[in-house]
Amino acid sequence: MGQFGPNGPGCFGQAQIGGTTTEVDNVKPGSRLASTTAAFALLLAVGCGGGTTNATVNGGSGKGTIVVWADQSQSGQDKATQAEVAAFNASQTDVKAVLKFIPDADLDKTNQATSPKELGDVVQVDGPYMQAWIREGKLGPINGLVSAQTIQNQIPSVIAQDTVNGKLYMVAQIDSGLGIYGNKALLGAAGITYPTGLDNVWTADQFTADLAKLAAKNPSGKALDLKLNYQGEWPTYGFLPIVYSAGSTVMTGGKAAGHLDSTQVVAAAKTFASWKPYVDANTDDSAFVKGRVAMSWVGHWVYPAYSKALGSNLVVMPLPDFGNGTKTGQGSIAWGINTSRGNGKAAAKLLDFFANDANVTDYTSGAVDGDGAVPATKTALAESTLYAPSGPLYLFAQQLNKTCGSGPATKDCVAVPRPQTPGYPVISSDFSAAWFNIFNGADPQAELTKAAQLIDTDFQDNGGYQLSG
Amino acid sequence: MLLRPKTPVASVQQDTGAAVVMVIPAFLGLLAFVAVPFLLAIFLSTQNLHFGSGLGPTWMGLEQYRRLLLDPLFSADFYRALINNATFAVVVVPAQTGLALAIALLLNRSLRGMPIFRTFFFMPVVFPMALVSVIWKLIYAPDDVGMLNTVLKVVSFGHIQPHDFLGDPKTAMAAIIVTSIWSGVGFQMVILLAGLQSISGSLYEAAAIDKAGKWQQFWNITMPGLRNTLVFVVMVTTILSLRLFDQVYIMTRGGPLNATTTVMYQAVTAAFDRGNIGNAAAITVVFFVLVLAIALIQRWFLREEREIA
Repeated sequence: MGQFGPNGPGCFGQAQIGGTTTEVDNVKPGSRLASTTAAFALLLAVGCGGGTTNATVNGGSGKGTIVVWADQSQSGQDKATQAEVAAFNASQTDVKAVLKFIPDADLDKTNQATSPKELGDVVQVDGPYMQAWIREGKLGPINGLVSAQTIQNQIPSVIAQDTVNGKLYMVAQIDSGLGIYGNKALLGAAGITYPTGLDNVWTADQFTADLAKLAAKNPSGKALDLKLNYQGEWPTYGFLPIVYSAGSTVMTGGKAAGHLDSTQVVAAAKTFASWKPYVDANTDDSAFVKGRVAMSWVGHWVYPAYSKALGSNLVVMPLPDFGNGTKTGQGSIAWGINTSRGNGKAAAKLLDFFANDANVTDYTSGAVDGDGAVPATKTALAESTLYAPSGPLYLFAQQLNKTCGSGPATKDCVAVPRPQTPGYPVISSDFSAAWFNIFNGADPQAELTKAAQLIDTDFQDNGGYQLSG
Repeated sequence: MLLRPKTPVASVQQDTGAAVVMVIPAFLGLLAFVAVPFLLAIFLSTQNLHFGSGLGPTWMGLEQYRRLLLDPLFSADFYRALINNATFAVVVVPAQTGLALAIALLLNRSLRGMPIFRTFFFMPVVFPMALVSVIWKLIYAPDDVGMLNTVLKVVSFGHIQPHDFLGDPKTAMAAIIVTSIWSGVGFQMVILLAGLQSISGSLYEAAAIDKAGKWQQFWNITMPGLRNTLVFVVMVTTILSLRLFDQVYIMTRGGPLNATTTVMYQAVTAAFDRGNIGNAAAITVVFFVLVLAIALIQRWFLREEREIA
């Protein structure tokens, strides 16, 4: 049978009983049974003891061992995290950080399934899921714990992502960029004029036509890679911007019905589904790198591998405009503190360390390969070569600069944060299921209406997912 | 040999006492891992609870069941899962058992090197289902990247075009069925082989003397002799086939368009993708009732035949 998460369901994992030894003959079986059952019941009660509250627990002494749960993704990112934790431990003796990696595809599921008591002291959390974890008591405010200098140096988009009700809950080393990588040679061979910046983006129809042209020129008959092999949060991160680009929203006024399934989104979904013949299944995750397709719709994390494979042949382009201007995703993993474990002060020291310029630069583009992400501190971003105006990834920095923030998505703003609500896991799960069903040929209106109804029902069940205080 | 008991009553008491004590570890295991979780599942199916949440559960009554069985928003997926499970069981049980029987018959000879053949046929059973699914996903991969597509292309001299087996609603379930049969047939084969070897060889000799053909021997000696083994194999395969999850989770994720979703897959994704424990618990309780009914029905049918034999 499959395993259910690294720790198994909370309290049941602790209530396992190994084989009991039996002594023959001398003890009456009845009383033995009674006593063992009583012991078992006691174990169960203790193991399942109490939920935790959301309130900030005493931050502790600022010393001791802290457990760090980190996202395991591209090798550059992982090596950077390991190096930083080791450097932190070497630089001082008050706090010892113990690192534990969670595979990227399971990150959100694992955070969801782990109770606050078992979660690490420092948790690397996917931005849009932050409110869900706050509501479940897994993250606490860090305003008084992390230094003011660290907070001031964070770029506006991550501050917006990490703040709820005026309180800051996370600091970030990166923000994300999403776009279409192109192979200049293949694009040129098919005679495609492609966007060079945010001023001359594709319209959805132009993009569809160009896909057909590219596929015709390509022996594989494919033109686009959508990272269909990615699991987890990718479908929502990668394709939810289309909803905003089509001129709609996911939820307004606490309801998804009428918004997620509006006519604009249905039309955009139909266009998206029409690309299927040109999309490579990417089972080996190297369709773009091996030249089977000319374009790859994906985020910043593949930049090291792509630039290594294509060199100067690589170009980064904005996503197509479905009517309301080009829109793209933002938000990424950030570091939060599980204050319910009582080690807030010690954990905050590690957060300050992570968010300093040296480490942010290292994490995004430094000696250990980095991962191409947008540096989340003002100083590191200003000094970055990748994101400088002449750099290859300048587009991502531009897009974040023009973020729509928490306001409505107008025609001019570009980066749109994913819905900021504790009910985000349900939105993500239902949206990606509906989106891929549509991609595989289901009726767009029916699928989107169903997704909207499922989301609304879940929100109703949970009282609208209010976040107290 | 007859041992005279001390007194009948005392010895029975001693025997019962010892028997109870020996049964206790297994009983506690059943209690802890089957009875308690089941009762908790019934309890949880009446609640609204998020997995791993610090917040407690809230009462929902029978709402989860109403949604699962009556509300088209939720029940459409659930009923499709039930249909998929039924299709899978109805195809796999006869096909896998029949294939296992054929292979067992072939392997039931004393040719040299027979143990090697038996080992090879049994090997797929040893691999974890997750590993089998990952490898077969590559075999079924669409376009020319997939092994199966390449083989078909070569064998047909390019006439058969590459096909997306796992991405096409019409072939996805068939693809999973083939993978499952490949993986599980060795298990039944070994059991049937043991059953075959328990049939006395003298029966075959007598039949040969009476000039009975191979086919007649098969129907009149082999099949009756295998009846009990076959009953066991069919029952076990049916229950195991209702458990279908690993292949679906890895190869198709319930798609495309719900073509391969199963009840276990729905329960797990409800719990871990949506964090909705109440919904997942309700699914498992309903499924338990169904599986119990199937098992009881099967037992009743097949038991009758056993008594006649």
